[in-house]
Amino acid sequence: MHLKLLAKRLSIALLFLAGSFIANAQQKTVTGKVTNDKDGSPVSGASVVAKGSKSGTQTGADGSFSLSVASAVTQLEFSSVGYTSQTVSIGSGNVVNVGLVATSGGLTEVVVIGYGTARKKDLTGAVASVQAKDFNQGVITSPDQLLQNKIPGLEVTSNSGQPGAATTVKIRGNNSIRSGGSPLYVIDGVPLDGRSARPNFGTNFGSSPDANALLFINPNDIQAVDVLKDASSAAIYGSRGANGVIAITTKTGSAGPSKIEFGTSWSVNAGYLKKYEVLDAGEFRTALTKYSISGQDKGATVDVFKDLLNKKLSQSYNLALSGGNDNGKFRASFLASSTNGTFKNSQLDKYIGTFNGQYKFLDKKLTIGFSLIAGHTSEDVIAVSNTAGSEGNIISSALQWNPTTSFKDANGKWVYPTNGSGNPMALLDAYDDKVQINSVLANISASYKILKNLDYKFQYAINNSVGSRLTNIYGFLQGYAGLSGSGYGAISGQKLNSQTFTHTLNYNATLTKKLSLTALGGFEYWKSKFSNNSFSARGFNTNLTQETKIDIPYTAILQDGQVQSLPTTYIDPTVEIQSFFGRVGLNYGDRFLVTATMRADGSSKFGKNNKYGYFPSAAARWVISNENFMKSNRILSNLALRASWGITGSQEYPSGAATEQFTFSQYNSATQTNVNNPDLKWEETRSTNIGLDATSKNGRIYGSFDYYHKNTTNLIFQDVPIAPAPSGTYFRNINANLINSGVELGIGATIIEKSNLQWDVNFNLAFNKNKLTNFKASRILTGQINGQGVSGTLGQIIDNNYPVNEYFLKPFGGFDASGNQIIGASQQYAGDPNPSTNYGFSTTVRYKKLSVVINAGGAAGFKIYNNTATSVTNISGISNGRNIDKNAYNSAEKPSSGVGASDRFLEKGNFFKLRNVSVNYTVGNVLRYVKGLNVFVNASNLFVITKFSGFDPEVNVDKSSGGYPSRSIEYIPYPTARTFSFGFKFTL
Amino acid sequence: MKKYLKVAISFVLISATGCSKLDQQLPGSLTNQQVSNALGSAGVGLLLNGAYADLGGTFTAQDLLFCLEENASDEALVPTRGGDWDDNGVWRVLHNHTWDANHTYVLNVFNSLNKLNFDATNVLGFSPSASQAAQARFLRALSLYYLLDLYGQYPVRQPGEDLRNAPEVKSGAAAAQFIIDELVASIPNLPTTGGAGVATKNAGNTLLMKCYLNRGAWVNRASPTFADADMQQVITIGNSIIASGNYSYMSEYFRNFDALNSSSTENIFTVVNNSGSAANVSDVRSEWCRTLHYNQETSTKPNSGWNGFSTVSDFYNSFTTGSTPGVDLMEGVTNYASNKTGRYKDTAVDARVGGRFYPGITDKSGQRPGFMIGQQYSETGAPLTDRKTPANPLQFEPGIAADMKETGNTLELTGIRVEKYGPDFTNGSANYQGNAGNDEVIFRYADVVLMVAEAKLRAATPDAAGALALVNGLRTARNAKPLASLVLVNTANLYAGNALLTERGRELYWEKVRRTDLIRFGMFNKIWQYKPSDDPKYLVYPIPTQSLSVNPNLVQNPGY
Repeated sequence: MHLKLLAKRLSIALLFLAGSFIANAQQKTVTGKVTNDKDGSPVSGASVVAKGSKSGTQTGADGSFSLSVASAVTQLEFSSVGYTSQTVSIGSGNVVNVGLVATSGGLTEVVVIGYGTARKKDLTGAVASVQAKDFNQGVITSPDQLLQNKIPGLEVTSNSGQPGAATTVKIRGNNSIRSGGSPLYVIDGVPLDGRSARPNFGTNFGSSPDANALLFINPNDIQAVDVLKDASSAAIYGSRGANGVIAITTKTGSAGPSKIEFGTSWSVNAGYLKKYEVLDAGEFRTALTKYSISGQDKGATVDVFKDLLNKKLSQSYNLALSGGNDNGKFRASFLASSTNGTFKNSQLDKYIGTFNGQYKFLDKKLTIGFSLIAGHTSEDVIAVSNTAGSEGNIISSALQWNPTTSFKDANGKWVYPTNGSGNPMALLDAYDDKVQINSVLANISASYKILKNLDYKFQYAINNSVGSRLTNIYGFLQGYAGLSGSGYGAISGQKLNSQTFTHTLNYNATLTKKLSLTALGGFEYWKSKFSNNSFSARGFNTNLTQETKIDIPYTAILQDGQVQSLPTTYIDPTVEIQSFFGRVGLNYGDRFLVTATMRADGSSKFGKNNKYGYFPSAAARWVISNENFMKSNRILSNLALRASWGITGSQEYPSGAATEQFTFSQYNSATQTNVNNPDLKWEETRSTNIGLDATSKNGRIYGSFDYYHKNTTNLIFQDVPIAPAPSGTYFRNINANLINSGVELGIGATIIEKSNLQWDVNFNLAFNKNKLTNFKASRILTGQINGQGVSGTLGQIIDNNYPVNEYFLKPFGGFDASGNQIIGASQQYAGDPNPSTNYGFSTTVRYKKLSVVINAGGAAGFKIYNNTATSVTNISGISNGRNIDKNAYNSAEKPSSGVGASDRFLEKGNFFKLRNVSVNYTVGNVLRYVKGLNVFVNASNLFVITKFSGFDPEVNVDKSSGGYPSRSIEYIPYPTARTFSFGFKFTL
Repeated sequence: MKKYLKVAISFVLISATGCSKLDQQLPGSLTNQQVSNALGSAGVGLLLNGAYADLGGTFTAQDLLFCLEENASDEALVPTRGGDWDDNGVWRVLHNHTWDANHTYVLNVFNSLNKLNFDATNVLGFSPSASQAAQARFLRALSLYYLLDLYGQYPVRQPGEDLRNAPEVKSGAAAAQFIIDELVASIPNLPTTGGAGVATKNAGNTLLMKCYLNRGAWVNRASPTFADADMQQVITIGNSIIASGNYSYMSEYFRNFDALNSSSTENIFTVVNNSGSAANVSDVRSEWCRTLHYNQETSTKPNSGWNGFSTVSDFYNSFTTGSTPGVDLMEGVTNYASNKTGRYKDTAVDARVGGRFYPGITDKSGQRPGFMIGQQYSETGAPLTDRKTPANPLQFEPGIAADMKETGNTLELTGIRVEKYGPDFTNGSANYQGNAGNDEVIFRYADVVLMVAEAKLRAATPDAAGALALVNGLRTARNAKPLASLVLVNTANLYAGNALLTERGRELYWEKVRRTDLIRFGMFNKIWQYKPSDDPKYLVYPIPTQSLSVNPNLVQNPGY
C-alpha cells in the first residue's frame, strides 16, 4: 500500500476513535490522589478505572486524578507497574485517596515468555526483564543500546561509534563457531529476520560496518525488553532459540482519557571518549630530529581529530498520542531525529511512525489488535570500513596525517601528500555515500475467547525493508589507484521481506483446589526473502578538479562513467520455517511450578534427510518461601529455586546451503556453486540452568543467581569442499562440542527510602567460560589482520580445547640493536578475545524533585588486538612523513623496523565505562495543561578506564574470514564521541 | 463434554492449517534439473564457458600459478619493502625455497586448479556434444597437468559423484598416462578453428607435447630420464603444428602480450579479454601492476603500480650480448616523438629485453615494455621520482637485500622490473586499472618450437643441428645474434649462453614455465641469487594441509 494512502486511512481512523471518548450523561466526579504506601510520594501515571464501566483515567505527576463516572459506579480499580493493584470503594464526598504497595523486586511484573506472558514470580526459566524506566539514557539510536550492562549474561558491544552501526549481542557467551551468533529478536510476538536491508558496497576503502537491524524501532516506544536466556525459556523458539531470545514489547494505549506525550532533546559532541595516541605537531618535530628525517616539517600545527569532530547539534523530537477505554485502546507515535556522528559529514536521520490498537467486539470475546511501525532512516556514511587494505580509510588518513601539514594550500586547494596517508579533509569532501532504508513492520491479530478459559489467537505479520545506497567518490581526490582522476559511483539496493502466520490456543484450568494448569498449543509459518543488486561505474567527466566540483553526484549520471562494471544481482534462496509448538505449566499451591515445552521446527534450510528438528524443555520452580517452615522467617519474603533443562537450535547458515546450486557467474557461463548435503541440519544446544531468586522481607533487597552449562553439538561447520569441488564452502554438521558455562548474579537494593530521598542501586555480574572440545577437523584460522605489508595474515584460530577465536600470533621478541622489531617464526596461541567477566552498575538518587541516574559497566579477562598499531601507525611511516604511534615512538624501535603482526599488539582489554549520567528535574504541572514536565541533562560516554591504547576497548571490528567471525580486533574503527544532551518531556 | 470437544476441535484446526512442504526454493540460482532441462543444450555450453572462465584468475593473478612457477624460480621475487610486501613472509619463502604445507598460495593454487578440474568434469555429466566433451576433457587435462607438475598427484572425480566422498587420487606414471590418454582421445573432436580463445586441436597438441616432454621429470624429479618414444612424439606433434602454417613469429615480440595481442600469430591458447569489457574473466592489469612503481603511470595518478615483483640481475644478464640497452635506445626517451624509429637502431640487442620506445604505451605513460632498469620517465620524458621526501629519482636498481628485506632509503627502487604485458592504453587510461584487453597467454608458438628443439636434443639419436636451426630461427626473429652451438644445459652455469634452458628463459620469461623447465633440466635445486640453500623436497610442492585433512586418499609428499 502506498504510504500516503495508508496515512490517510489512519488519520480517518484516529478521528473516529477520538469521537468515541465523548462521555455520557448521569455522571458524578470522583477525585483523589494515589501515593506510595511507604513514603507517601505521588504515583504518577497510575491507571484509575471505574469498576464495571468503560471510563478511566491516569494520575498526573502529583498523583492526583479526577474521573467522571456513572452515578451507579461504586468501586475504582487502581493499578500501576511495580505496585500491587487495588480495588477501593468510593466513599462519601466522592474522594478516594489510595496508598499503593510496591511489589517486591518487581515480582508481579508481567514478563514475555514466548507466545504468552507470565508473572515474574511464576517463572521457571531464566528470563531477565528491563522496564523502560531502567533503560540507558542519552543518545540512543537503536534498542540494543538501551540494554548495555543492564542484564547479567547479556553482552552488547558497540562495533563502531558510527550512529546506527551494528552491535555484537551475545547471550551467555559465544554459542557458535559460525557467524550469526546473534539472538533472535521478537517484537510484539513477531520474530525478525535479523538482517538489515542496508546494502554494503565495497570500495577502495573496504566494506563499511553493518547497520543495526533494529534501527526502525523507536527506543521511546519500548515498554520493556525481556531476555530469554536459558533453554526452558527459549526452546519454544526451537531452531532459532539457541542464541537466546530478546523479546521487545512496545507501548500500547491504556484506558483513560487521551493523552499526548512529548519529548525532545538536543545533543552535541564534546570530544572523544578516548583518543588514539599519535604524535602532536611538537612531538612530531622532535621525532623528526630523533630519527634524523629531513624535509617533513611542513611548518604548520594541526590537530586532525579536533578538526574532524562534528559539532553540529543533534536533535530528537518524539510525540505520542494514546487513549482508550474498556473496549479498546490505541497509541500512535512519531519520532523525528537527527543524530550526528563523531566525525563531520556523518549523520543518521530517522523518521518513525507507529500506530497500534486493541479493540474488543462480540461482548469482549473477540479482540482485534493491530500494530504498524513504519520507519525511514537516512544515513550519511563516511569512508570508515572494516577491511580497509593498504589504502586505509578516513581514520587511517587522520591517524597518519603529518601534524605539521595544513589540509589546504595557500590557494585553498587540498594538499595531497605523496606518502600514502591521504588527506582526511579531502576525503570528507570527495566521499559522498548515502543510505536510505524504509522499513515496515505490521501485524494484525484476532483473539477469540472460545470458552472462559480457552483463547484462540491468530496473528499475521509482515516485515518489509527496502534499502538503497548511493556511493560517490569524486575524481578530484588524489592518491588512490583507479579513483583519482577517474571517480567512482555505485548504486546498490537490498530488499528484505519476511512474513509470519501464527495460530495459538491458550487454555487455563483449575484442576483441583491447589493445582492449576496452563496450556499453549500453536502453529507458526515464517517465510523470508532477501535480495540485492548493484552496479557501478568509473571514469567520469565531472568533479575531476576541486574547483569545478558540482552538486550532481555520479550516481545521478552513472551512464557518464566511461568504464561500467557488470551489474550483479542475487536473490537468496527463500527461507521457510514451519513449526508446531506447545507448552504446559502446572502450579501446585504456588509452591511447586513445572513447565514443559516442545517445538517441532521444519525448515527449508535443512537437508532433505533432516527436515524437522525437535526441541523439548522442562523446568521447575520451588518457592521455598511459601513452605510452612519458611513462613515465619523474618529475613526473606521470597525465596525460590529454579532448575531447567532443554534443547534449542540454530540454523545460522546461508539458505540453500544444503542444496546443489548452479549460478550464472560471468557473462554466458554457469558453474556449480554448492555441494548437495541432504544431511545438513541445525546446530543443537543442550543447556541446564539452576537459579535462585530471593527478596528481603521489606522488599528493599532482591537478587538472583544463576548457574548454567551449555553444550552445543552438531556444530555447523563451513568445511572445505573436497577438491575437485565447487569453490567456496560446503556446510556440514560436525560432532565437536562447544561448551559455555558460567554464573550470573544480579542484585538490586533500595539503600535509602524516605519521602524526600531515595537511593536505589543495581549491580550485575556474569562470568562465562568458552571452550571448543572434541573438535577433530583441521583448525580454522580467522581474524583478518589488514593493512599494507600484512595482507593475508590471520590472527585468530578456532581449535580444539581453546576458546573460539583464541589469538594465534607470532611472538614478539623485542628490538634488535638497530631498532628493528624481532618477530618469532611461527604463530602461537596467545590469549582469549572473549571477555570472561561482564559487569554493570546503575544507581538512582532522588532528592525531592531532583534525581540523578548513573549507568556504568565494563568487561574484563580478555585481550584486544590492535591492528591499527600494527599497520597504520607503525613507526616506519615517519620516514615518509606519516604520523606514528606514541607507543612506538617511546620504544627502542627505529623507523627502519619492518611491519608484522605479532603478540606485541595484543593488549589487555579490561575496561570500566561510565556510559551515561543524567540529572532530571521534575517541574511538575505547568499552567493548565502541561503535566509532568521533566527537564534533564545527560552526559554519555563520559570516560573509560582502561589500559588499552586504541580508541575504545569496547570494540569488535568485523574481521571475519570465510564466514568465521572474529572477536575483539581493533582496526581503524569509527571513534566514540562524548556527548552532552539537554531535553525535556511532558504530557498533555 | 462439549467444552472439551471445543478444545479438541480447536487444536485439530490449528494443526491442519496449510502445511508447507518446505522444499528449498532457489529464486536466484538453478537446480541440476534446470540446467539440463530448462536450458537444454545451452546449459552445457554455459557450464563449459564456466570452466573456460576458471582459466582467467588461475593463469593471470600474481598470487596463483604465477607465483608458484615464477617466484619459486630464479626469474622472479618480491622483496619486502619496509612496511610493504611482507605478507607474513609468503613471498620470500617461495623464492628461497623454505615453504611449507601451510603456505596460503600453495593452497590457493591447488583449489583454483581443482575448481577448473571440477567445472570441466561437471560438463561431462550434462550430455555434451562431441566437441563440448572434448573441450571439457582438454580443460580438465590442463588442470591435471599443472596439478601433477606442481604437487605430484591429483584428485579426479567422475561426473555426478557425491561430493561429500573423497575422490580417487592418481600419482606418478599412472597420473601422467591418464592425462595423455584423455588428450589423445579428445583431440580428434576438438575444433580446428575458432581462434586462440578456444581449445583447438593445436592447443590440445601443445598440451600433449608438454606431457610427453615432462613425463620423465614427473616420474623422477631428482634425475629425470626421457624415453625416446616420448621425444619422438614431441617432435612429430610439434612438427605438425609448425607445418600447419597457422603460426608465425611476430615482428614485434611484445605484441604477443599487449592490448592488441588478439591479432598475434604466435598465440595458440589464451584467455580472451576485450578492452573496456566488464565481462572479462581475468583481471589482466595484475600483469603490470604487480611490478610497476606507484608513480609509474602518470604523476596525477599515484598508486598505479603495486611496486612488488622484480627479477634478479643474473637472470637479466643471461641476455648477454649488449643486453643493457645502449645509448641508441635511450635516444627516444628525451625526444621520442620525432624519433620513433630509434628503438631499432641498436641491432645488437635482443628484442626480448625491451626497454625501447613502444607506440601506444611509451607515448601514453613513458613506460617501455620489457626489463625496466635505471631511470624511469613520464610520457613527456620527465624523470619520475619515488614517494620519499625528499624524493629519490625513480631509478630501478639491480641489487636486492640479501635477505630480500629492503629497509633503506631506496627500498622502493630495488629490483629490475619486468613489464611483459604492456598496459592497455587503447582508451586513454580507462582500462589501465581494470577491464584491460590484453589476452592472457597460456600456450605460444615459440614454446612449441623450443620443445621440438629440446626433444631433438633429448632423442636417443640427438639432432643437434636441427635443434640449433630451430633456435636460431627464433633468435633471428627476436633481433638476437644466432648461436654457434647449442647444448641442453650447462650444469655448472645456469645462464650459459648456448644452453637451451637459457634460451627458454630468454624467450618465455614470466610465462609460468620456468620452475617446470628448471626441474626438467635438473637445475631447480641449484643455488641462485637470494636462494642460499635448497633441498630436493622442494622439487614438488606439499599437499596443502587443509586439502590433506579432508581427502585421506591424498598422500603428503616426502619431507613435508
